[in-house]
Amino acid sequence: MTTRFPFRSLGSRFAGWLGAACALFLAAPAFAEQRSGNIWGLPPCVTVHGEKIDSLFMIIFWLTATVFVLTQSTYLYFLIAYRKRPGHKAFYSHGSNKLEIIWTTAPTIVFLALAIYGNRIWDEIHRPAPSNSLVVDVSSYQFGWQMRYPGVSGKLAPIDVRKITDQNPFGTDPADPLTSQDVIASELVIPVGRPVHLLLHSRDVIHSFYVPEFRLYQDCVPGRTIGWVWFQATRTGNFQLACNQLCGTGHYNMKAPIRVVTEEEFQKWLKPRQEKNAASTAPVATLTRP
Amino acid sequence: MSATITADSHATAHHGDHGHGHGKKGIMHYLWNTDHKVIAMQFLFSSILYLVIGGAMALAMRWQLAFPGHPIPVIGHLLPSTVVSDDGALIPGGYNMLVTMHGTILVFFVAMPVLIGVFGNFLIPLKIGAGDMAFPTLNEISYWLFSISGIIMLASFFAPGGAPGTGWTAYAPLSSFAKYNGTPLGQTLWCVSLFINGLSSLTGAVNYITTVITMRAPGMSMFRMPLPVWAIFVTAILLIFAIPVLSAAAALIIFDLNFGTTFYKPSGGGQPLLWQHLFWFFGHPEVYILVLPAMGFTSEILAVFSRKPVFGYKAMVYAMMVIGFLGFIVWGHHMYVSGMNLTLSAVFGVSTMVIAVPSAIKTFNWMGTIWRGNIHYTVPMAFAVAFVSMFVIGGLSGIFMAATPIDLFVHHTYFIVAHFHYVIFGAIVFSVFAAIYFWFPKMSGRMFNNTLGWIHFWMSFVFFNLTFFPMHNLGLAGMMRRISDPTVYDCLRQVQPLNVVCTIGAMGLGLSTIPFLINMFWSIFKGPKAPANPWHSTTLEWTLSYPIQHGNFPVVPTIHHGPYEYSVPGLEKDYLPQNEKAPAHVTLEAH
Repeated sequence: MTTRFPFRSLGSRFAGWLGAACALFLAAPAFAEQRSGNIWGLPPCVTVHGEKIDSLFMIIFWLTATVFVLTQSTYLYFLIAYRKRPGHKAFYSHGSNKLEIIWTTAPTIVFLALAIYGNRIWDEIHRPAPSNSLVVDVSSYQFGWQMRYPGVSGKLAPIDVRKITDQNPFGTDPADPLTSQDVIASELVIPVGRPVHLLLHSRDVIHSFYVPEFRLYQDCVPGRTIGWVWFQATRTGNFQLACNQLCGTGHYNMKAPIRVVTEEEFQKWLKPRQEKNAASTAPVATLTRP
Repeated sequence: MSATITADSHATAHHGDHGHGHGKKGIMHYLWNTDHKVIAMQFLFSSILYLVIGGAMALAMRWQLAFPGHPIPVIGHLLPSTVVSDDGALIPGGYNMLVTMHGTILVFFVAMPVLIGVFGNFLIPLKIGAGDMAFPTLNEISYWLFSISGIIMLASFFAPGGAPGTGWTAYAPLSSFAKYNGTPLGQTLWCVSLFINGLSSLTGAVNYITTVITMRAPGMSMFRMPLPVWAIFVTAILLIFAIPVLSAAAALIIFDLNFGTTFYKPSGGGQPLLWQHLFWFFGHPEVYILVLPAMGFTSEILAVFSRKPVFGYKAMVYAMMVIGFLGFIVWGHHMYVSGMNLTLSAVFGVSTMVIAVPSAIKTFNWMGTIWRGNIHYTVPMAFAVAFVSMFVIGGLSGIFMAATPIDLFVHHTYFIVAHFHYVIFGAIVFSVFAAIYFWFPKMSGRMFNNTLGWIHFWMSFVFFNLTFFPMHNLGLAGMMRRISDPTVYDCLRQVQPLNVVCTIGAMGLGLSTIPFLINMFWSIFKGPKAPANPWHSTTLEWTLSYPIQHGNFPVVPTIHHGPYEYSVPGLEKDYLPQNEKAPAHVTLEAH
C-alpha cells in the first residue's frame, strides 16, 4: 500500500539539486582561497603561542571535516536510496539501544579528549611570563590605545587602577620618580624573539586587544589589570592592533600600529625616548586624554 | 495519572466562560481571544512582521559592509536620522544600533515567539488532547505583553540619541553609563522592553508546563507525547530558570543608567563582568530555548515523511533533558577571554565539549529515522532535511570555539557570526519554515502552493549558504564582528570581495522570503481546501477537521500507543493514529 499525497511532489529532483547546491556551497570558500593567499583564510601566524593554536586548529579542522564528510555522505546516500518508490515500504523500527550506546560513547570520548588536549595548550599559553620579558602597559580608551614602556631604570612606574582618571590615564603615582621616566607611545613596538608581557587596562568601557596574526584576543576590563597575556613574536613585520569588543560609535576604527622589529632596531627606538624623559627636569607632565 | 483535568471537563468548563468570545465579530475576534489557536496566529503574524523588520536591518548592515559609506538603496531614506546620514548611508553609530536591534529583534521578537508562542500554543493542546491551555486568559495576556514590549523596543529608535548601540549582549559598563553610550534613554527602553518581554515568556512558560502536566488526555503518558510537545515542555522549564536572571540584570542596568547606582561600574565598587555572567547565564540556555523546539519539529517531520517511527524516541527525550541541564553550566564559554579566571575557562571548556554529545546523539537519531524509510519529498520535508545538515555544520564549527585556545583567535570574529547563523538561521529558521508548511493545512484549512514552496526552499537553501559560509573564512582572516567598515584594516581589505559575496547572498535571502509571504497570504484565502490529515500523520491534531472549534475535541480522545507508529507490519495503511487501537494481530514495538 502506498501513501498518496494530495499534491504532486517535486521531490524526485530533490536529490540532484542537492548535489548542485553542494557544489555552490563549496564555491564560496574557493573564492576566498585565491584572495587571502592562504588556503584556509588564516592570516600569517607570527607568535610561538599562535603556532600551537594553529596546530590544534588543524587537528580540529581535519576531525570535523572527516565527521562532516562521513555523516553527510551517509545522509545523502540515505536520502537518495530510501526515496519513495512504487512498492517500497519503510522498515518498521523504533531504534536500537546498542547503536545509541555506541554513538553516545564515541563522541563523549572524542570530545573529552579534545577538551583535555585543548586545555593543555591553554595552560601552556598561560604559564607565567618569563623573567626576561619586556613589560608593556597597554591602555585602551574610547577610541584609541596608548602604550607605556619602562624608562631608563628598566622598570615601569607602579600603578593603581583605582587612580585612573581622565587626568591620570595610567593611574600612576605623580610623586613616584619612576612615573616621569615612563615612555609613552601611540604604537606598539616590540622586539622579535623576546617575550613581551602585556598589562592590559581600560579607562572607560571594555575593549579588547586583538591581533589576528598573533592569534591573540583578550578583553581589557576597566578597574582591573589583566596581567596574564604574554607572547613571543617569531618574525618582524607591521601589523594592526584592533579593538574587538563593541565599545561605542568609534569602535570600528579603534586601532593602533604594531611593529615587530629586531632587538637592535627596538633599542634604537626606545633608548632616545628613555633618555629624553630622564633628562627632563620639568615636573611630571600631566597626560591629557587625547 | 496526572491528567486529572481531562480535555472534556476543561472544554466544557471553559465553553461557558468563552462562549461569548465566539460571538465576537470583526477585528475584536482577532485582537482579544483566549482560544490558543487564535493566540498562536497573533504570535505568528507579529513575528512575521518583526522578521521583515529585523531582516531589513540585516540587509542594511550587509550593504554597508560590502560597500562602506555608499547610500543604502531603497530603505536608506526610510531609516531615522540617528542611523543614516542625510544621503542615506549608514553612520557608524547607526550601524551599531542596527547590530543591536537586529540581534534583539530576531532573538526576542522572531525566534522566541515563533517557536514557542506560535507552535507551543498551537500544538500543545491539540497534540495532548486538551481543550485549551490551562490558563487561557493568561495566555492572551502573554501575547499582549509581548506586543507592548515590541512597541517599546522599536520606539527606542525615536528616543533622543536613538536606539542603543551596545549589541544585543549590551556589555556593561558601555550599556550602563550614559557618558559612554550616548543613548541612555534608548538603552533604558531596551531594558524595559526586555523586562516586559520576559514577563510574557514567563507567563507563557507557566502555562505550557501546567498544561502538559495536568491536561493530557487519557492514555497520553509522558512517554507517549509527540516530540514537539516534549521539546516545548523542556524549553518552558529552561525559560522559568533563565528569564528571571536576564530581567534582574536588565533592571540593574536601568538603575545604573538612571539612578546613579554602580552595579557594573568599577569606580563605584561594581563589576563589569557581573553583567556578562548574568547575561550569559540567561544567554546560553536561550540558545537551547531556541533550538530544542526546532529539534522537536524536525524529529516529527522527518518521521512523518520517512513513514517511519522516530529512531530512538526515548534517547531523543533524554538528550533534550541532558541539553536542558548542561545548557545551564556552559555559559562561561562566551567568556573564555573576558578576563574571567583562566581555570574557570578551562572548566567551562570541558562542559562545553560534553554538551556536544547530546546534539550528536540527536543527529545520529535523525539519520536513523530516515534510514530504510520511504521518503516523501515535500516542502516541509525539504526544510527538515536541510535543518539536519545546517545543524551539523553549525555544530561542528562550534567545536572550534569550544576549544579554549582556538577561541583566543576566533573569539568575536565572523567565524562566530557564521557559527550562530548556521544554528539560528540554517537550523532554527529552516525548521520554523518546515513547521509552518507542515501545519499550514491545520492552521488555515487550506493547502499552500507547492511550486512557490519549492522556490522558497531552494532560494533559502542556496542563498543562506552563500551568505553565511564565506563568513567562516572572513572570521579566520581576522574580521571583527560589529565593525561598520572592514576596509579601515589593512589585513581585511584583501578579503573585501568575500564581504561582497556575503551581501549578494543576503540580498537573495531577503528576496527568498517574497515567495514565502505571497504563498502564505494567497493560500490562506485562495488555496485549495485541505483534507483533515493531508500528510497521513498519526498525532491527535490531524484527527480534527478545520475549523477546529474552541475546546478542540468534541469527544475526549483516548490514546493507545506512542506517537510515531508508521509502516507497522500487518496494517493496511502505513500509519496508525494515536487514538486508534492496533488490531489484535498487530504487535507494536516498544520504544
